Amino acid sequence: MSPLSLIFLIIGIPALAGLIYIFVRGSTGLRRYIVTRIALTLPMILILATLVFFVMRIIPGDPVRSALGPKGSPETVARLRDQLGLDDPLLVQYGRFLGDMARLDFGRALTGGRRPIVDEMSERFPATLELVIPATALALIIGVVGGALAAAHRKRPTDYALRLYSVVIYSIPIFWLGLMLQLLLGVRLGWFPIAGRIDAVVGTTLDRTTNILVIDSAISGNWTALGSALWHLVLPVLTLGLILSGVFVRLTRINVIETLQMDYIAAARARGIRERVVVYGHALKNAMIPVITLIGLQVAILLAGAVLTETVFSWPGMGQYLVQRISARDYTAVQSVITMFAMFVALISLAVDIIYSLVDPRVRY
Amino acid sequence: MALTEGPGLEAEPEEGWQYALERVGFVRRILRARRWYGADWWFVAISTVMVVGFIILGLFPGVFAPYSAEQRVGPRFLAPGADPDVTILIAVTGSGIVDLEDLAQESGRPPIGVVRGVPTADSLRQQAQVIDDRLRGDDGGLRLRPNIVRFDTQEETLQAVANGEVLAAVLQSSEYDALKDQFPTLEVGNSVTGEAASQGGFILGTNQIGQDVLSRLIWGTRIALIIGFSASIFALVIGVPLGLIAGYTGGKLDRILTVVMDSLYAFPGLILAIAITAVLGPSVFNVIVAIAVLYIPTYYRIVRGQTLSVKEELYIEAARSLGAKGREVLRRYIYPNVIPSVAIIFSVNVADAILTGAGLSFLGLGLPPNTADWGIDVARGQEFIQTGWWLITFPGLAIMLIVLAFSMMGEGLMEIFNPKLRER
Amino acid sequence: MMADVLYSIRSLSVDYNTRVGAVKAVDHVSIDIHKGEILGLVGESGCGKSTLGKAIMRMITPPGHIVGGELSFEGRDLMTISEKEMRDVRGGRIGMVFQDPMTSLNPVQRVVEHLTETIQTHERKVSDSAARQRAATLVEKLGIRHDRLDDYPHQLSGGMRQRVMISLALALRAGLVIADEPTTSLDVIVEAKFLDLLRELRDEFDLTILLITHNIGVVAEVADRVAVMYAGRLVELGDVFEVFADPQHPYTKGLLRSVPNIQLDGAELYKMQGSPPNLLHPPSGCSFHPRCPAAMDICPRLGPDLLPVSGDHLAACWLYQQQPTLGKVG
Repeated sequence: MSPLSLIFLIIGIPALAGLIYIFVRGSTGLRRYIVTRIALTLPMILILATLVFFVMRIIPGDPVRSALGPKGSPETVARLRDQLGLDDPLLVQYGRFLGDMARLDFGRALTGGRRPIVDEMSERFPATLELVIPATALALIIGVVGGALAAAHRKRPTDYALRLYSVVIYSIPIFWLGLMLQLLLGVRLGWFPIAGRIDAVVGTTLDRTTNILVIDSAISGNWTALGSALWHLVLPVLTLGLILSGVFVRLTRINVIETLQMDYIAAARARGIRERVVVYGHALKNAMIPVITLIGLQVAILLAGAVLTETVFSWPGMGQYLVQRISARDYTAVQSVITMFAMFVALISLAVDIIYSLVDPRVRY
Repeated sequence: MALTEGPGLEAEPEEGWQYALERVGFVRRILRARRWYGADWWFVAISTVMVVGFIILGLFPGVFAPYSAEQRVGPRFLAPGADPDVTILIAVTGSGIVDLEDLAQESGRPPIGVVRGVPTADSLRQQAQVIDDRLRGDDGGLRLRPNIVRFDTQEETLQAVANGEVLAAVLQSSEYDALKDQFPTLEVGNSVTGEAASQGGFILGTNQIGQDVLSRLIWGTRIALIIGFSASIFALVIGVPLGLIAGYTGGKLDRILTVVMDSLYAFPGLILAIAITAVLGPSVFNVIVAIAVLYIPTYYRIVRGQTLSVKEELYIEAARSLGAKGREVLRRYIYPNVIPSVAIIFSVNVADAILTGAGLSFLGLGLPPNTADWGIDVARGQEFIQTGWWLITFPGLAIMLIVLAFSMMGEGLMEIFNPKLRER
Repeated sequence: MMADVLYSIRSLSVDYNTRVGAVKAVDHVSIDIHKGEILGLVGESGCGKSTLGKAIMRMITPPGHIVGGELSFEGRDLMTISEKEMRDVRGGRIGMVFQDPMTSLNPVQRVVEHLTETIQTHERKVSDSAARQRAATLVEKLGIRHDRLDDYPHQLSGGMRQRVMISLALALRAGLVIADEPTTSLDVIVEAKFLDLLRELRDEFDLTILLITHNIGVVAEVADRVAVMYAGRLVELGDVFEVFADPQHPYTKGLLRSVPNIQLDGAELYKMQGSPPNLLHPPSGCSFHPRCPAAMDICPRLGPDLLPVSGDHLAACWLYQQQPTLGKVG
């Protein structure tokens, strides 16, 4: 079973269960909301895929020829073009493109052995996940705690310090932060490795089922591999997580401040509820609701950051793949990867909206 | 029954005391605002100074940069603050040989000594070639085609000059300084690149080609600002009118546009920019277009939102102010609300655009390879992370500072303009 | 028979710091709240009555702050106790009912949780089930079926939400309840029921209620005494029937005349001349003088104290007081 399918199962089954739960237990209003939301996802993916398709077609010149370079004889070029159907009218190509995407048939890479892109994705997507999920968690922890602190101590040094932090860290180019961390913690101090996912030698001892190395090594009890994988994770996750945290600090802070001005907060205080409970129990819980939706939007920043982080740390994920394929002028691959990204973003956005509807009781009943 | 006011209804204040602040002069208002807005004022003040500073740097890089950005002006990999170890010519005192050009002859190949295994020979050959080309064009009959003689150590090289075996030697100034006393008959000429042996330092060091890092930083400001401003203006010019139209007219156009914009907004900007630049090819204009496309939705959404909320207020106003023309209403109600928001977004946008642009050039996309750009410098410096930390540190720092300046300005402006977050 | 004084307020002043200066929201207000009474506090919007209500519970937030005064409640000066002790007072000894019950209840918290949280904050030792039991008993008394305890605020009607608010104020047997515009967001029928409820509760629980409202009708219905505020100052105070039947202060007179009387068919509505005062730069002397039909020479120069006109009926007006001789000015 390919790693990609395994991941889809792991994510898909609970998601489906959640969806069923909503449908069974939820009110009509909620059901209608979910259905509308799902219905909107499709146009979103469609629009993005179309955009990608047409952007790719603007290229002057012949993509196949520029991909093959001087190695491509006219016959090979012609054959490839025929295979890819590049000589057909644009609309026909578009239709085929949509059909392929619907079947998740991403085609084959133009160069480098003409490997099916799906296989490549299979290996690389988990790598990106392994980077992105801990980074998001880190960013959320720093962000929510920091944002709540800043809001609770408004207009005092803590608040300004945290606001400064969030502005400064968002201004840091993520690739530069990665390089600086590499320089200081990797090269100068030698504490952490600066490239790759796992020590090469140790890596060979590991059985890769899901291709999420941390999980694989934990499952198989390969503790050396686990250690190596975790160690390799530190710098990239730190890089991506720190940059993201700035955004979350800001979002949380603004939302908590607005929530703190609500009447029910004053009412709670009037009942003698302790300030800490008011801020973290009442205000934060309410503030998180809009923040959750905004997390969905941050996926975009997350992916962009992942592309750069993977490049800096030679992390074999989807981001690095994209950059490599672009350098190789492999337009089929680029097109497929970007479309896949679009699907990913749309699905996450959908998931977040569904979670939101579960969390906010006003929507639920 | 006349509609009159009574207790319990809000009456219009006779004298608009709460607008007193607005009537005060602009400058005084800014200074008075400092007490009221506290640290936020400092946010905006400091960042404005930084922004203005960067703009000045971008407009007049030649004034501030000690060297040009493209030329090789010094030794390679010079650490920041280190003494520029220049390659110099050493000859016998009184021989009249001060510059490489002095060795030009009508025929034959003047012997010049260098130390074996050191890259000095490269700069020597390079420089000699430059001079030779010029001499050929001069038609004076002179040529410079040195015969490079290699020795094992610096001492042997210098000895060879003293002996007359070679006409001159080319060494690093530091190496010569160490051995100078042993060879009293020799004297120092000019640097092999034609400049005096001790020119100003390279405050931030030099990179792998020998270009001055500081100068490249200053020259790089120009392209960063060009990309940042152009992309944001472009996005503004398209996004704001679209938002106004969508908000004002509503209906199907609004719905379609909004769905498109939302999809675009949710999509990872960098990736779309990567796609566009990869397709369009490397040029400044293409980078600007790619980034501008990303930010159109931001302007669109905010402007549309403001327009919608103003439209609601307008329906209430309509009962009172009869006969207000559509366009005038737009101008009087929408602009005062929209303009502060747009200003804030613009500021943040420039910051973001510069960041995205840097990301693009870091990946090697978008800009032509010879542009003096911070992102490109960081990318090139990557492989020398062990030997030359300053190659990546300073360009990255520059990016961070300029982005910070614009972001801070946006942040501060937002706290000041946004009434919801102000103290109640 | 002297009524027991539950809360004695002496010379309370509250300022708001704005960009353009300090706004005197409450200006040297002194009043005693008697045990077991329903005291109505009326005045137009912006007269400072809500601020006074908040100040009594020390719930003034920046940019506002209490400038001075003495707050004697149950033998303690609330101005001098610590914030921690004040928290015990809030909800424990003094309860507050807010204007808009929809926004005053936490939308993501169930009704029962509002109550149990309050109970357990003040009485640590109470178990979850005991707290829930108490909550159930409490809301039953207020006419809410206990099976609605697990609902969220938005699932209840306006009237029910208001009753939940009251139950929160009573959860810990507070002696004093401050109701800030409690009926403004209710329709007339619900309002009537609410007022009946207030009276019942006062009798059953031995409550003292400070009813803050701009609605004179409500005060007339349910209050024992009424205090009238204008521009941050108390201008009249007394038994509700006395004050309404025979208002002394010109402002009160104007206020009562402004109430539309359905029997006066076709007549024009009375409007007080002038406009509400500028609290940033209040008029000198008696703040009502620019609008007062009975203004005299001394009124702009010196503000009158709140002094008895007859018995327990007090008014702050030079019409009823000995005017001091002021030296010639200019």
